[in-house]
Amino acid sequence: MNLRSALASIARESRGSRGRLLFFVACLALGVAAIVGVSALVEAVRAGMRAQARELLGADLSVSAYRPLPEDLALQHQLIDTEFERTEIRELATMASSSKNGRSQLVEVKAVGGRFPFYGALGLEPAKSLAELLTPETCVVAPELLAPGALALGDALSIGSASYVIAGIVRDEPGRLGLAFTAGPRVFLSLDGLARAELEHFGSRIRHRALFRYADETKLHGGDLQSWEWLLARVYLKDAEYLRFETYHDGQPTVRRAVNRVERYLGLVALLSLILGGIGVAMIVRAWIAERTQAVAVLRCLGFRPREVLVLYAGNVVLLAALASALGGLAGSFVPLVIERWLDELLPTGVELSWQPLAIVRGVWLGIGIALVFSLPPLAAIWRVAPARVLRQEAEPLAAPRLVTWGAVVLLAAGIFAAAWVQSDDLEHAAAFTGGLGVLALLLGAAAFGLTKLAARLPRERLSPYLVHGVAALARPGAGVLGAALALGFGVLVVLAMALTERELSTKLERALPADAPTTFFVDVQPDQWTDVERTLGAHGATAIEKVPVVTARLKSIDGVDVEDTRGRGQGGRGRWALTREQRITWLDALPSSNTLVAGALWSDPAANELSIEEGFAEDIGAKLGTRLVFDVQGVPIDFTVTSLRTVEWESFQINFFLVAEPGALEQAPHMVLGAARVDETAEDPLQDELAKVAPNVTFLRVRAILAKVRAVLDRLALAVRVLGLFTVIVGLVILAGVASSTALRRGREVALLKTLGVTRLGVTGLFATEFALLGLVAGLVGASGAFALAFGFLDIVLELGPELPWHWLPLAAAATAALAAASGLAASARALNTRPLESLRAS
Amino acid sequence: MTVPRIECRAIVKRLPSGSALLTILDTLDLAIEPGEFVAILGPSGSGKSTLLGLLAGLDRPTSGEIRIDGERIDTLDEDALALLRRRKVGFVFQSFQLLGNLTALENVLLPLELAGVASARDRARELLAAVGLGERGHHFPSQLSGGEQQRVALARAFAPRPAILFADEPTGNLDLATGARVLELLVELRSRENTTLVLVTHDREVARLADRRIHLRAGRIERIACGAAASA
Repeated sequence: MNLRSALASIARESRGSRGRLLFFVACLALGVAAIVGVSALVEAVRAGMRAQARELLGADLSVSAYRPLPEDLALQHQLIDTEFERTEIRELATMASSSKNGRSQLVEVKAVGGRFPFYGALGLEPAKSLAELLTPETCVVAPELLAPGALALGDALSIGSASYVIAGIVRDEPGRLGLAFTAGPRVFLSLDGLARAELEHFGSRIRHRALFRYADETKLHGGDLQSWEWLLARVYLKDAEYLRFETYHDGQPTVRRAVNRVERYLGLVALLSLILGGIGVAMIVRAWIAERTQAVAVLRCLGFRPREVLVLYAGNVVLLAALASALGGLAGSFVPLVIERWLDELLPTGVELSWQPLAIVRGVWLGIGIALVFSLPPLAAIWRVAPARVLRQEAEPLAAPRLVTWGAVVLLAAGIFAAAWVQSDDLEHAAAFTGGLGVLALLLGAAAFGLTKLAARLPRERLSPYLVHGVAALARPGAGVLGAALALGFGVLVVLAMALTERELSTKLERALPADAPTTFFVDVQPDQWTDVERTLGAHGATAIEKVPVVTARLKSIDGVDVEDTRGRGQGGRGRWALTREQRITWLDALPSSNTLVAGALWSDPAANELSIEEGFAEDIGAKLGTRLVFDVQGVPIDFTVTSLRTVEWESFQINFFLVAEPGALEQAPHMVLGAARVDETAEDPLQDELAKVAPNVTFLRVRAILAKVRAVLDRLALAVRVLGLFTVIVGLVILAGVASSTALRRGREVALLKTLGVTRLGVTGLFATEFALLGLVAGLVGASGAFALAFGFLDIVLELGPELPWHWLPLAAAATAALAAASGLAASARALNTRPLESLRAS
Repeated sequence: MTVPRIECRAIVKRLPSGSALLTILDTLDLAIEPGEFVAILGPSGSGKSTLLGLLAGLDRPTSGEIRIDGERIDTLDEDALALLRRRKVGFVFQSFQLLGNLTALENVLLPLELAGVASARDRARELLAAVGLGERGHHFPSQLSGGEQQRVALARAFAPRPAILFADEPTGNLDLATGARVLELLVELRSRENTTLVLVTHDREVARLADRRIHLRAGRIERIACGAAASA
């Protein structure tokens, strides 16, 4: 059979199945729309970031570090053949206060010496350049600082030991994106202005940054920007490990990572909708093949081999799937536009959304693939059709070859795995997703199966006629009841599990603070400032005041091997980060209660400088008991031996460190103090204002405010998940409606018969509603139980939160599912319900 | 001596009925020559249709051998049987068995396309014309009368020039006059294409036209009558 006649016969076959078309298309299109929506959104954000990459960084190259940049950076730039501009920047989080009302606030200071930004523009008021607005005596601030009744243009703002006149407002700053987590509103200063604050003198943690703009990238050494970056980082600048290089090609790494995470997570949630659509497709195909058994037998008589019949029907599925996926893709591609219009707070600012044809292509391929693999198991029934059926209806079905039945199942699993891989771009995630789904499907299937069996055994004598009918319908073998329950249950499970987890996390965050946990932290306190800080704390009723010394250091070598050469020994990106970042070490006599020793003994070796390391961190850097670590503490190498490993309950909110040194080893090193205290929420503002005067360099962190911010981010993600979860429930209901309508013929006869027997139209509606509601109840119960189990497992075992779940949601969810199922089932049976009694005579 | 077109030796067919095995055909021998017209007669339940299914390779015997053109078919797998049917066998059924979603012309085209016949469309039109439905090719089965549907089925069966045609009560669902017309066409086409015809019927009038009449009773050959138009 050649391709043309194959296509022709496929086109012919689709004629007889127009009724089913709607449900097929609806199931698949919804899933594809979810997939395309997510991927179009992500692609659009990425494309926006690419298009504005230079504006996001504001430069061609940025070099930064938490210490002054090396002279070599300037020297190397003297050797290049192209003109360039350099702008110096200092960034730090610090407290700002106003003498006008005595209020203070944590702000993000950016001190700029030179032109900024090189690309893009700041949205400034008045409309001048930043350089024009900034003098050593002025600042430019974000509008959040100018809350009504607080500050206005021309007022003074104090930072450190200096005061600045607010000369302008920055409404828009490229590269400062909504998805990223910020400590506070932006304040721009000039470099000279920052020097006046004398914060460096107090030892504040300052990020030094140099921005470069090159007239001609091709004249850089290496011939392009990326090679130049590589040469600088790896060859020209010695000991450059502490320097961070970013070119505009890298985009904004934090935003990029956030986007990748969102893509992976939401991508898989969207895939769930599509997979449910796949279940719908499988059920529709099964009903379709069952109806076509006679036609299959005739085709077999005419000399079609089973695989040729399969091609015929699978081809049909593909054609339909292509149509449905195209529709879904089209619908999904509007998602970014909808979000831009109504939900723009979900998006990073400055990202413009555009049409994403690639996202549609990907969604359409996934849609066709999922439809195909899900139709294979029901299509395997083709092998079971005996050609002899053309002579005798009751001809024994043939045994399908094992290869066919198992092959179909294997292909299905492989297809889901491949789709998960495409969506998450990560083998492990894909495997976990597929495996988890398989287990869930088995459990849900077993539960639904058990309940239908139970329904069959239920003594029916005492039930009302409505219930008898409903229970009988549940127990009726085949008819896709199990599949519909499974799909709907899955939808309920997804939505409810998400809602439960989100709710629990949200409430936990709201009252997250254990009774004894500190509510405020004081960062970068100079040792000689502590007495003042402590006195101020006492005056504001603070309790549980704690302080620990902090030494910043850099890991130099592990067991004599330079960290430079150890890279890759740790695990993945976190290992590398753990090796090269700036470490904070404290010293303690005894461990706080939130620490548990798991190996070795604390301060047990009188001969060495001892170190206790958090277990996970030790794994990251590849350290064990007895490992020798050398730290560079402000230029002085200090030798340590690891003598104990411990675990830390981070969620206790106590001050904790990955690295704790033996007392005596670091006392001589320059250090700062990290303080913590418990303060009433009402006392936080006055305390902050007072501290800004007493110790202006100290950064005041309010845990409650940070938790609120985390919650806001969580809420955004939860909203997206809820929308996608809704898709899964809708797909489940569509499938149910599909099952109802695929049995419309049988139902029509039933209705006619019932009406002949004298049941009113309302009565018949009641019978059907009971049947669908029972199905929904079963699906809702099974799905909701699964959701509770999943949420409880995740919260209790993975997050160890000791969740208090709202168990009364369980019956509510089941009841709601029952109501929805009854509604959608009745809607799909509307035609059958209108059948006239006369037709029962005709049918016979 | 020529090889028989169809030959079966000692075929037995048993089917499960409840917990017992029911013997449908009991040790049957039969040979049908190329170009021969054989009618299989017998009351309901005598095993006529089962025999037809076995001879055509739609079904497998419990034991015994069946050959078509000297080739064993009872040992072939499903795929090989399908290919055999595609090459050599045509069918006409009591209930027409047209594919409802295809037009008359497309129904006739189907086996031709399957066999890869070059001028399939011309051949299909020619056959539809031969059964008197040249103008009805674009109609769907549901738009045709029973007699018309069976004529389309005849056209479909003869289209790929099968060596053997199996007909299972081809006039059973038709009224007398229509049935006679269909039968007439069947015999006419068979002569023209020189097709071996195996026809199952319980109608002696129909069987009269056959070269040989095989009477089945309770799964055994009761008697064989030779000669066309012999007395009923």
